[in-house]
Amino acid sequence: MDEVAEKVRNILVESLTLEPEEVTLESNLRTDLEMDSTEVVELVVALEQDFDIKISDGEITNRQSVGEVVKIVRGKLAK
Amino acid sequence: MKKIAVSGIGIVAPAGTDKEDFWRNVASGRSFVSPITHFDASAYPSQIAGQVGKLDLGNLSPRLLKKLDRFSVLALVATGNTLRDAGIEVTKEDPYSIGIFLGNALGGWLYAETELRDLYVEGRAGVSPYMASAWFPAAPQGQVSIHYGIKGYSKTVVSDKASSLMAVGHAAKVIGNHNLKFALAGGTEAPVTPYALLCCSTEGSLSRGPYRPFDKARDGFVVGEGAAVVVLEDVDSARARGAHIHGLVTGFATFCDATDRIMPDPEGKGLARAIGGALAGAGYQPDDIDYISADGIATRLGDSSETRAIKDVFGTNGHKIPVSAPKSMFGHLLGASGAVDLVTTLLAMQHGVIPPTINHETPDDECDLDYVFNKSREHRIDKALVISRGRGGVNTVLTVERS
Repeated sequence: MDEVAEKVRNILVESLTLEPEEVTLESNLRTDLEMDSTEVVELVVALEQDFDIKISDGEITNRQSVGEVVKIVRGKLAK
Repeated sequence: MKKIAVSGIGIVAPAGTDKEDFWRNVASGRSFVSPITHFDASAYPSQIAGQVGKLDLGNLSPRLLKKLDRFSVLALVATGNTLRDAGIEVTKEDPYSIGIFLGNALGGWLYAETELRDLYVEGRAGVSPYMASAWFPAAPQGQVSIHYGIKGYSKTVVSDKASSLMAVGHAAKVIGNHNLKFALAGGTEAPVTPYALLCCSTEGSLSRGPYRPFDKARDGFVVGEGAAVVVLEDVDSARARGAHIHGLVTGFATFCDATDRIMPDPEGKGLARAIGGALAGAGYQPDDIDYISADGIATRLGDSSETRAIKDVFGTNGHKIPVSAPKSMFGHLLGASGAVDLVTTLLAMQHGVIPPTINHETPDDECDLDYVFNKSREHRIDKALVISRGRGGVNTVLTVERS
């Protein structure tokens, strides 16, 4: 994992009180990490603060995987 | 009304977090009120409260706990205790035959206060997404339902300090209907928070010193936090499964004063009517009652109107019936207080001991009943009355008897 992916994983590990090995790039937010919509809101707020980016409503949902979230963050950091 | 068995007791209170500890402590007549440690209360007129110490959180995960206000946590722990005490495994029952009926007066204020401060200081992004589902009055009902897999007819009752006794009374009335086999009923409250304490203070009924109901030197009640949940079920069903029956709920009535937004009717007419209604519902004569668990709010009008209502119903015999307010030992748990009083009364019945009204020093001419002041008393109880009253003139009364 690169630095961005590590940071996203740490956010998830901390907010969901999981072990680091429970979160991989393949983990689906809903089916693997069992995140509900409010936990997604917490994730979005943390990503915005930690990466200093803006994420629109609905851009990140619990249908996505951790890898897909990392990709969205990378795309915003590149702009 | 039909007699309903109480087959489980779950209590989380400043005087104990299981029923054995709780009983030992309330029977001791000691005080479990202490200086507030949950937050800095030095700027408040009242700086004491009944606080629950370390809690055994069982299988409640940190991931869940961060989404809950303390009033939901207290309810979850008390519900787990009552299910264990009743010997009920929800997974082995029809989940649609079990309901949860919880009362509270305030909602989850600690969560709300903290997040509202963040909203005004940090703006929208500062507010926890869990706020919306953490603070509202039905949150404990929902969390209990989710955590234990309870899917039957359930209800949150909000009726100020009478909420939990009303929840128990309502549950006792509806059990057997709506496919309900087990009704878990009680209340929860976590009012030892800055804003909740401020509201109780500005209402003018919070004590600066000891909580001394029915005493001339009284100056109001002391808040406490906690939860109490009992299991109600049909008597035959409880006996058939070999459950221990703590007592029977036999009558329930509630009436309103319709006089003032805070103070009760000075003549206690609504309360007298509720006492009469509960007795009639149970098929009791006033002479049948051998203990009254009082509301004991420790305001002049609260105590005198309660005393007056008891005398109105029981006549001269009213002086012979022991009346006590055990909450003087651990604080007034507001919306959870009635369920706690019910638990205390059932335990008093089992042990043949009346827990006292403590902190008494100065007699009050307006309060001339036998309030079992300062020390427990051995006394056989076969039939008892529990009184719970709320602001704005809510009067709720439940009768119970030995099984």
